[in-house]
Amino acid sequence: MSTLPALLGQRLRRDWLQLVLWIAGIAALGGVAASAVTTTFGDETERAGVLALTATAPAILIFRGTPNGADAGPFAFFLIFAFLALMAGLMSTFLAVRHTRAEEEQGRAELVGATPAGRVLPTVATVVHGVLANAVVGLAVAGAFIAGGFEVAGSLTTGAATAATGVAFLAFGLFAAQLFRTSRAANTCSVAFVLGAYVVRGIGDATGTYSDDGQHVTPSWVSWLSPIGWAQRTEAFAEDDLVPLLLPLGFAVLLVGLVFAFQSVRDQGASVLAGGRGRATAGPVLSSGTGLAWELSRGAIIAWAVGALATGLLATSLTPLIDQIGTEVPAVAQTLEQMNPGGSLGQALTATFFSIVGILAAAAALQVVIRARQEEAHGTAELLLAVPLSRTRWLVGYLVIGALAIAAILVTAALGAVIGAQRADDPAQAAGDAIEAALAQFPAALLFLAIGLVLFVYLPRLTIALSWAALGALAVLGVFGDLLAPPEWMADLSPFTHSPIPIGDDIDWTGGFWMLGLAAAGSVVAVWSMRRRELAPGG
Amino acid sequence: METVVSTHGLVKRFGRVTALDELDLEVTRGEVHGFLGPNGAGKSTTIRILLGLARATAGEALLFDRDPWRHAADLHRRVAYVPGDVSLWPNLTGGEAIDLLSRLRGGTTDRAAYATRKQRLLDAFQLDPRKKGRAYSKGNRQKVALVAAFATPADLYLLDEPTSGLDPLMEQVFNREIARVAAEGSTVLLSSHILSEVEELCDRVSIIRAGRLVESGTLAELRHLTRTEVAFVHEPGREHEVAALDGAHDVRIDSGRIRFAVDSDRVAGVLPALGALGVQGLTITPPSLEELFLRHYGDDVAEVDRSGGDGSSADRAGTDSVEARA
Ligand SMILES: Nc1ncnc2c1ncn2[C@@H]1O[C@H](COP(=O)(O)OP(=O)(O)OP(=O)(O)O)[C@@H](O)[C@H]1O
Ligand SMILES: [Mg+2]
Repeated sequence: MSTLPALLGQRLRRDWLQLVLWIAGIAALGGVAASAVTTTFGDETERAGVLALTATAPAILIFRGTPNGADAGPFAFFLIFAFLALMAGLMSTFLAVRHTRAEEEQGRAELVGATPAGRVLPTVATVVHGVLANAVVGLAVAGAFIAGGFEVAGSLTTGAATAATGVAFLAFGLFAAQLFRTSRAANTCSVAFVLGAYVVRGIGDATGTYSDDGQHVTPSWVSWLSPIGWAQRTEAFAEDDLVPLLLPLGFAVLLVGLVFAFQSVRDQGASVLAGGRGRATAGPVLSSGTGLAWELSRGAIIAWAVGALATGLLATSLTPLIDQIGTEVPAVAQTLEQMNPGGSLGQALTATFFSIVGILAAAAALQVVIRARQEEAHGTAELLLAVPLSRTRWLVGYLVIGALAIAAILVTAALGAVIGAQRADDPAQAAGDAIEAALAQFPAALLFLAIGLVLFVYLPRLTIALSWAALGALAVLGVFGDLLAPPEWMADLSPFTHSPIPIGDDIDWTGGFWMLGLAAAGSVVAVWSMRRRELAPGG
Repeated sequence: METVVSTHGLVKRFGRVTALDELDLEVTRGEVHGFLGPNGAGKSTTIRILLGLARATAGEALLFDRDPWRHAADLHRRVAYVPGDVSLWPNLTGGEAIDLLSRLRGGTTDRAAYATRKQRLLDAFQLDPRKKGRAYSKGNRQKVALVAAFATPADLYLLDEPTSGLDPLMEQVFNREIARVAAEGSTVLLSSHILSEVEELCDRVSIIRAGRLVESGTLAELRHLTRTEVAFVHEPGREHEVAALDGAHDVRIDSGRIRFAVDSDRVAGVLPALGALGVQGLTITPPSLEELFLRHYGDDVAEVDRSGGDGSSADRAGTDSVEARA
């Protein structure tokens, strides 16, 4: 059969650059984390100290994993695996939706479906393509660890665990593509599932039981609900047990089976969940370009805001736990005190969680700009710009909604933090800290909005890829900077590095004001240049 | 007469592709102007430049005597547009999309009147406004754009293949709407591949090819440029008498009939001679727009055929050919 190779070749030709970037990014993150273990957390006693710290404040495990001893290998796996699996998951679900639902939605699947390839073979090709991509991810991750001087067996286990989780998410992406009629809905559902898997396993890890020496954790049953949680059970570098990987792989086989079952009965272009009938007339919001921008972005903004609310809740509800450490493990308190001079441990934790909120806010803002690009590529912007609505006013609508999205994310996060602070010793103080921390994230998020707008005006066809890449890279630099220890100039590139740190009494807001100025300048340039920009249709 | 649309030496390049090559186009107020040309000739590109969605590389394009690139939003108060390939918002219903576009065009200030106009059009086009974007068939997506265009009065309608995908019944509805807006004094620029539609609706047509204007005028004027087909029952020897007639070309014998072409402005002059010959079963067929087009569109085809080395079109059609006026 020559059809399958042809379909596969088409997918590889279309995706290779994107996949190379994803895979290089994932492997680089693994490699950098591996080398950070030996540089930042140099010796075993230091690492044992960090693990002991997590035993007193298990919430830290939400962002990491399950400790498995203070040896370099298990410690590296603990630090970074969940994040590698998350990235492989995002890569895989986007890949799955891109070649299935998106193709159907655009009507291209129909062209292929009318050839001897038929309706089902393209999905087979996507499965093969996605599995191959994840195999390469696994090899690249293993290679990165081996290159970092880690044991071969453990490195291979880490790679296999990453790839197996990626395949599970690939299957979920294919499944979501069957459920929804639009690629947008399928992507949203898949991303929510991947992030959910990350958080669910975080909760399971944080509520796990510690061994007597405080160096090992057995996660609670909650982690068994998450494909990332399954793969963590391989306990790479400690047990190197590949059996748990049968779970993500079995999950994938089951879902792919369902996908083919659905596809063999449904029509081309139809979905399992049918869209209902809507309203015959438009509501009052749909009276302006800005109103439409809101209508199109609302769902995404609400989704990001829910994440922000949860992050805000965690940021302060954990403060009592953290404050205990100060009394119980003085050495740890000393280290944290050194890292954040002048502030309390609670403030440090709040600031850390709010740097995550800053990323959520920037992501929401970028998604609004990306919606503008999608409107343009999809052809609907043309309908709108043929009415008395100037290109500039149209773009200003997205600027306004983007700023609104940032405000909404920060406000809900602050709200969550205020609610979470009720259990703290000094609720008013904790709530005040959180509100300052939220405010501190505003400039960096606005700067990302401006970056997105400038990309949209000058490089319309690359807006989507470059926006996410910029956010991903700069967020890793800014927030995981301590862990990765990049050169200073590189860390300085990231807006998040310059966010004011609301710890202690005299907070330096200078970086914030600079970023506000840059954001304003960038937005003005983008809006002004839009006057001279043609519509750039998709392609 | 007031000019509503005019372009002079309009050039548009996409990289190395020249989509418009010094195009001159003129549409005067109140006319329904057909805009014709083969695929890729540059019709959509021209309309997009006229809407200020794309910028001319060189030359001039004017809408109501103003530059559409610089005054797009202002000019659009007087313009309605239907794209050739309508995309709708996946999460908005057809009704919502129509309302949004109408509000932006300022057509809803008198709500009751707007509601009446919209309902009349929804009924006429038999469109269900409650479905969401992708749930519409191609023709129904086209109808959403048509309803949005006609629900708010405009001075100029820029329509890019507006009936592609419509069923014949809906084409009738569309024709009635064009007749209505034309009667109200609006101007229409209608790009189309459906020649019967152009023939029925348009006062004037412009034909472009490879980004250049090749013909422009009223249908009657264009018809003069082509030949009328005359045929009658064949009797031996007649072909030579016909070939001797002034203005007759391409005389041939085809399934028992003599056929020949006459310059359209000389048909009257040929009739007495035919009468004198006492011909039977006479038919006179004026040139169809189809032939007009094939003449312009078909140059490339003819070029290829010629280089193939054989003779006239009659030969290719497999009929006997007699050299006229030997
Ligand atoms: N964005 C673009 N980038 C590159 N080339 C383009 C672009 N838009 C149009 N073209 C080219 O310009 C030429 C004119 O295209 P246009 O769409 O105007 O043709 P058209 O007359 O509308 O054809 P059709 O009858 O098929 O609709 C074509 O050669 C096309 O390939
Ligand atoms: Mg066209």
